[in-house]
Amino acid sequence: MPLLEEPIKEVLTLRNYIGGEWLESQGELTDVVNPATCRVIARVPASTGEEVDKAVEAAKEAFPDWRRTPPLARARCIFRLKELMEQRFEELSRVQTMEHGKTIDESRGETRRGIEQVEVATGIPSLMMGYNLEDIASGIDEYVIRQPLGVFGIIAPFNFPFMVPLWYAPYAVAAGNCVVIKPSPHVPISQAKLAELVNEAGFPPGIWNVVHGAGPVASHMLEHRDITGICFVGSTPVGREIYKRCGETGKRVIAQCGAKNFLLVMPDADLPRTIAACMTSFFGNTGQRCLSGANLVIVGEGQNDQEYEAFYRKVVDAFVEAASKIRVGYGLDDTVQMGPLQNKDRKERVLGFIQKGVEEGATLTLDGRNVKLVGDWPHTCFLNPTVFDDVAPDMTIGREEIFGPVASIMRARSFDDAVEVIHGNPYGNSAAIFTSSGKWAREFQYRVQCGNIGVNIGIAAPMAFFPFGGMKESFFGTLHGQGQEAIRFFTDSKVVIQRWF
Amino acid sequence: MTRPGFTASTIINFAEKLEEDASRFYEQLASAFPQGRETFLAFAREAKKSRALISRTYQETISDAIETGFSFEDLDLNRYAAEATVTGDWSYPDALRAAMKLEQEAARFYLELASRSQSLLATIPRAFTRVAQARRDRAQKLSSALSALKASDT
Repeated sequence: MPLLEEPIKEVLTLRNYIGGEWLESQGELTDVVNPATCRVIARVPASTGEEVDKAVEAAKEAFPDWRRTPPLARARCIFRLKELMEQRFEELSRVQTMEHGKTIDESRGETRRGIEQVEVATGIPSLMMGYNLEDIASGIDEYVIRQPLGVFGIIAPFNFPFMVPLWYAPYAVAAGNCVVIKPSPHVPISQAKLAELVNEAGFPPGIWNVVHGAGPVASHMLEHRDITGICFVGSTPVGREIYKRCGETGKRVIAQCGAKNFLLVMPDADLPRTIAACMTSFFGNTGQRCLSGANLVIVGEGQNDQEYEAFYRKVVDAFVEAASKIRVGYGLDDTVQMGPLQNKDRKERVLGFIQKGVEEGATLTLDGRNVKLVGDWPHTCFLNPTVFDDVAPDMTIGREEIFGPVASIMRARSFDDAVEVIHGNPYGNSAAIFTSSGKWAREFQYRVQCGNIGVNIGIAAPMAFFPFGGMKESFFGTLHGQGQEAIRFFTDSKVVIQRWF
Repeated sequence: MTRPGFTASTIINFAEKLEEDASRFYEQLASAFPQGRETFLAFAREAKKSRALISRTYQETISDAIETGFSFEDLDLNRYAAEATVTGDWSYPDALRAAMKLEQEAARFYLELASRSQSLLATIPRAFTRVAQARRDRAQKLSSALSALKASDT
């Protein structure tokens, strides 16, 4: 099949977007590589501390005026941004495929989910309203006003280059704050494109800033006294560190971190639809998603040994057969169903997990290391779907986040055993159950300690108007991103108690 | 991601191309047959609207389709890849018959898509059903035109 046209024709040199201007960084440039073709598509700077300071200063300067801008006027800016995102939908999506590797369907899905955040944030006049009560005492009224706080930092991951900063930024600015976004240096182009639209939408200078770079830029943001709060999505060790440092400097924080998500298949599950949902869950976005399925637990509740063995084998066979047919290649070929890992280090990491799985005695039922591609692309970042069978929860591949297209299939003789296995894992991002029984579904949602629960849903991704949860080692903070909780995070509740003599 | 079969993008590209081809086809017919010019141009405009509806529906629902799991495997696109080219030696009745065949086949395609996407957001089957209905309406109009032509001949 012919490829869709690539929107990036020549190597881009990215600049920071600070105070409404595109400023060249003094930092060293590194290559941004299309993981499917291995071609360099951009160069991104490692911005300096002074450049972070400049962005924060621009945001701080812009804040008082923006804060006084009526919510409806702020919403109009956001409406214009939404309209521009719709107009550039296809370009934004193809850029994601080029810099990240995901398929074009996945990129368009990501663009849509990003736009949905912006759409919800346009409701700021309603979302931000406070509340009041008359006569709390004789002639005295009390009310709550939600006020913006200032400058927020957003530290973004590599797996959803376009969408993740939009879990926060639209709500922050709609509420009257200003933001400094640090995209992942592996996938910085989407945020640069988005900033172009912000500029075109007529946001006043300094409201929305983008500073490129890696750890040192993030670290500088964490220490900056004029940043009020940090939103972070990434690994658990980094999230824990961010939480700690934000505590020390008195910043608000949302840190959405690692995951190891369990999907239970009960004997009464609708198997064809379960397997279809599992393919998307385990292998969508090449497994680089914090809501991806990682461990498939086949539960033998109410079955004798013979029945369970037959059921287990049936599920494994169907899963492996479907996984083996997934077409892997460059995401701009729209017949492709799974793209590469985002970079070669990611692939090396995943290969390390596969090797561990073999060494620790799991059965490698489908070996994705034998790379077979649609199209003639360098194998550098590609893996095909990989499935391990008979995985024990304490094996490395059963316990740790792999973040790649590797599925671990586990056994559990009962529902209680399965819940115990889930709770034995330190993460608590998402879990799902596939069943036809309301009883088991209810038990599951009630008992399982995870922030996002799926019932016959492979990817329990909250919509923009619901909070994006996370428990245990998967989340550090109190309030979550998206919807009403994001508004609460980005505002302070001021209480006024009033009496007139 | 689908099970082995078509991606959503492949299906939508195919549908968009069907509408583009139909639009071009009717514009060519409008040039070739002045007696049907207004009707053919109206059909070409409708095909453009249908294309826009399909693209918009896809862009607005693809995330749901991915997360819910869509089912386009075993769909035989070749069955629906009808030739939409005007041939020089066509008479006006030939043109009407060719157009009618095109519309009927496309309507079947869209109805199959609608039926396969019943489990997705209602927007998706509704869009396919709307386009199928537009195609059937056009087939009906073409059939009536052909009948009228035959009646006037006798």
